[in-house]
Amino acid sequence: MNMTRREMIKLSAAAFAAGALNIPVDRDAGAAGDRIEVDKWVKGSCRFCGTGCGVYIGVRQGKVVGVRGNPEAQTNFGFLCVKGFKGYMSMYHPDRLKYPLVRGADGKYKRVSWNEALDLVCKKFKELQQKFGKDAVAFYGSGQCMTEESYTFNKLWKGGFGSNMVEGNPRLCMASAVGGYVTTFGTDEPAGAYSDIEKARTFFIVGSNMSECHPIIFRRIARRKLKDPDLINVIVCEPRLTSTARIADVWLPADPGTDLAVFHCMARELIKNGWTDKWFIENLCRFNTGKQVVDFKAYVEFLEQFTPEAVEKKTRCPAANIKEAARLFGSQGPTMSLWTMGLNQRTRGVWANNLVHNLHLITGNICVDGADSFSLTGQPNACGGVRETGALSHLLPGTRPVTIPEVRDQVEKAWGLPPGKIDPNPGAHTMQMFASLGAESDAKKPIKGMLITTTNPAQSLPNGHKYWKGMKEAFLVVLDIFPTRTTQFADVILPAAFIYEKGGVYGCSERRSQLTSKCVDPPGEAKPDLWIGAQIAKRMGFEKLIPWNGDDPRTAYKMAWDDYRNCVKLTEHTIFGMTYERLEKSEAGLQWPCPDEKSPGTERRYVRGRDPIMDMPQIVKVPSSARIYFYGDKNHEGKANVFLRPYKGAEEPPDDEYNFFLTTGRVIEQWHSGTMTMRVPEIARSQPNAYVEINPTDAEKHRIRNGDLVKITSRRGFCILPARVVKVSLPGILFVPWFDQDWDRMINRVTIDAFDAGSKQPEFKICAVKISRFGDPKDVADMKIISSVDEPFPVKV
Amino acid sequence: MVITGSALFIEPGTMDAVLEKLRRFHEVTFHVHSESGTELVVNLEADDTTDLESLCSRLKEEIHQIVDITHIYVNFEDEIERMQAGPAR
Repeated sequence: MNMTRREMIKLSAAAFAAGALNIPVDRDAGAAGDRIEVDKWVKGSCRFCGTGCGVYIGVRQGKVVGVRGNPEAQTNFGFLCVKGFKGYMSMYHPDRLKYPLVRGADGKYKRVSWNEALDLVCKKFKELQQKFGKDAVAFYGSGQCMTEESYTFNKLWKGGFGSNMVEGNPRLCMASAVGGYVTTFGTDEPAGAYSDIEKARTFFIVGSNMSECHPIIFRRIARRKLKDPDLINVIVCEPRLTSTARIADVWLPADPGTDLAVFHCMARELIKNGWTDKWFIENLCRFNTGKQVVDFKAYVEFLEQFTPEAVEKKTRCPAANIKEAARLFGSQGPTMSLWTMGLNQRTRGVWANNLVHNLHLITGNICVDGADSFSLTGQPNACGGVRETGALSHLLPGTRPVTIPEVRDQVEKAWGLPPGKIDPNPGAHTMQMFASLGAESDAKKPIKGMLITTTNPAQSLPNGHKYWKGMKEAFLVVLDIFPTRTTQFADVILPAAFIYEKGGVYGCSERRSQLTSKCVDPPGEAKPDLWIGAQIAKRMGFEKLIPWNGDDPRTAYKMAWDDYRNCVKLTEHTIFGMTYERLEKSEAGLQWPCPDEKSPGTERRYVRGRDPIMDMPQIVKVPSSARIYFYGDKNHEGKANVFLRPYKGAEEPPDDEYNFFLTTGRVIEQWHSGTMTMRVPEIARSQPNAYVEINPTDAEKHRIRNGDLVKITSRRGFCILPARVVKVSLPGILFVPWFDQDWDRMINRVTIDAFDAGSKQPEFKICAVKISRFGDPKDVADMKIISSVDEPFPVKV
Repeated sequence: MVITGSALFIEPGTMDAVLEKLRRFHEVTFHVHSESGTELVVNLEADDTTDLESLCSRLKEEIHQIVDITHIYVNFEDEIERMQAGPAR
């Protein structure tokens, strides 16, 4: 075969694509795959969103030069989205932070050595702890840190300092999902897996613009729908007619924050029409008001208030659509629900999660192939890194509450600590933590110092005005790869390595852990977070607790991973069988529970014969006769709670003055606060600035035309954004994406910081605003990034 | 030069019409389709990733039966060197 190089690349690329799609290709094309010009392909996972896409990173002469989807990965089967295949290019942006920086007396940063920077950080942390107590220094991490990193910082704080002042940005995105799983099932994370997508007949997508936020998962569903449109049903419950709704059979457009009524109404319809599972209800459901256990009859009576007509009045969601959604959900199963921030970022987030679980429990749409109540996580390692390692203020490894004496006892033993070392009281949750952060001279602010890694709270916290002063006045240490709004407040900036410059484990939405191997060296003197954490531990006297402070990332990360494996060995979340060697060899990674090295991992929990925990009495006792058993049940009955949650709307619904709902979210091209994706020129150009989506009816009333500048004002602040006049949102609802760093368009100046009483997750998705036309169209496609660490914060705080 | 291995997701029953329209795009090379006829494997060729974005936009605009385009493999060639030389903003 005589091919040119270009033909070879084309054929190889096509072969990869066809392989991912399971389409047979000719043998020559397939074989050509190994002949693309790289020095090596390194297996890893994507570092954006929570899907956990498997990738291969192409490395040539010490640089990453290409990326391809891994067709063997069970998450994405080789597919990648725009962020997946382009996002890594930000690694090579000239703005990369390469050297430790310390803010001088003149306010400007000065380059220092690692020793100088780390000595300063540790001296100051010690001083603050001695002067103000162990809780005076907090850690704020990220669902984008590697698991080994979150575990290490968590261990240092809780086991070393004896402080539970450990939080992370998953509090802002997934806490309500955790609260929902724990209150309903007694334990966190889904029962099923992505593989249910290929077995389900009906999909209930709620509070998620999956096509933009989890495009690869959406593609799996879309493939099924397009292939068999009459068999496969899709219901989308979402106030905007998003691109996800394009494949929907039924759209449930409920006003923001009102969907609790829709879910109860669906439950009522399911019961009235007999689309329920009697055996499941009798054997596996406990009906619960939150205060007391009641019977099924009481649940039925409770639901009576949620007639389709009454719910339509409350929510604007057409009664006929709710009835049809219930019919599809209950009679055309197996049914799989998938949701994300639309359910979680709410003051009733836990309740919303509970009510979706209710639908699955009363219809028996769980613990069977194709049926699951599945929370899609927002970040690549919010599940694996933060939820599972317990790197939140109220948890310990294995997603176990710090308040339980037996849990503390077990972790103290695993960490070699004296009894009583771990504080039994939870630390401050994220909103409380930042509200408590401030100057040494401020007696009302008990937290005086903070280490922040891989996240940008100065941009991502709601109602930012309230929290910037604390960040500025406290001793702030920030680990990142680029200057951000948060580094603008930092006293010390530590340059971090990108995922492909260090490696480590990510755990995605479906309980799957995947190992990325190091591909290339970091630029300048940038270092892995793990090294930084271990060096801080060493300097603060905790080298025995965190001994993995060597320079070889693979050795250090493996040591941390093994320490973590041992710590959670005898828990429902056991990953003991996931050795580094297994994860390195495995193309797809492994799903927990994975109790030993022979375990293939667990696709479906709570089912005998499929979940190893069912037959591990040393972890939890399950009756030998039980086929399905919710072993997280604190009452030891193997049941899940069906909650009779009362209807409650948003914290701040529109009124006469602030007469619009504002909802915020992501767009496909940009990731979080845009610090990486905005540095990939092609991505930046394709979505260069935030905007406000406004319905034509509302636009006409306010004399706003497409492109006009619009002022959006809430009780907390205002933004000025260009208008996109489109029918996507219902009248009365505005949408603004939150990635934009530009001061005028930073929407978290406007959002509300009210939070869920249970999960403490803020209500990013709903607040009341008013709008006015601000001016004629203006080119605001400036692709704003903060290029210099010395660029000051835009306002005095 | 950027060369991709991509999937075009198209509406059921429209494959022949889509293939006919694809002939107008010399930057697109069709290889194989799925049994259902709703997935086409193609190469897209473009000068750079900006040009690639533009090509995808044109494909979606001019062939309305295309539901989605996803790139499964991308060969970037000299794109990285250009990135390192400075942002083309």
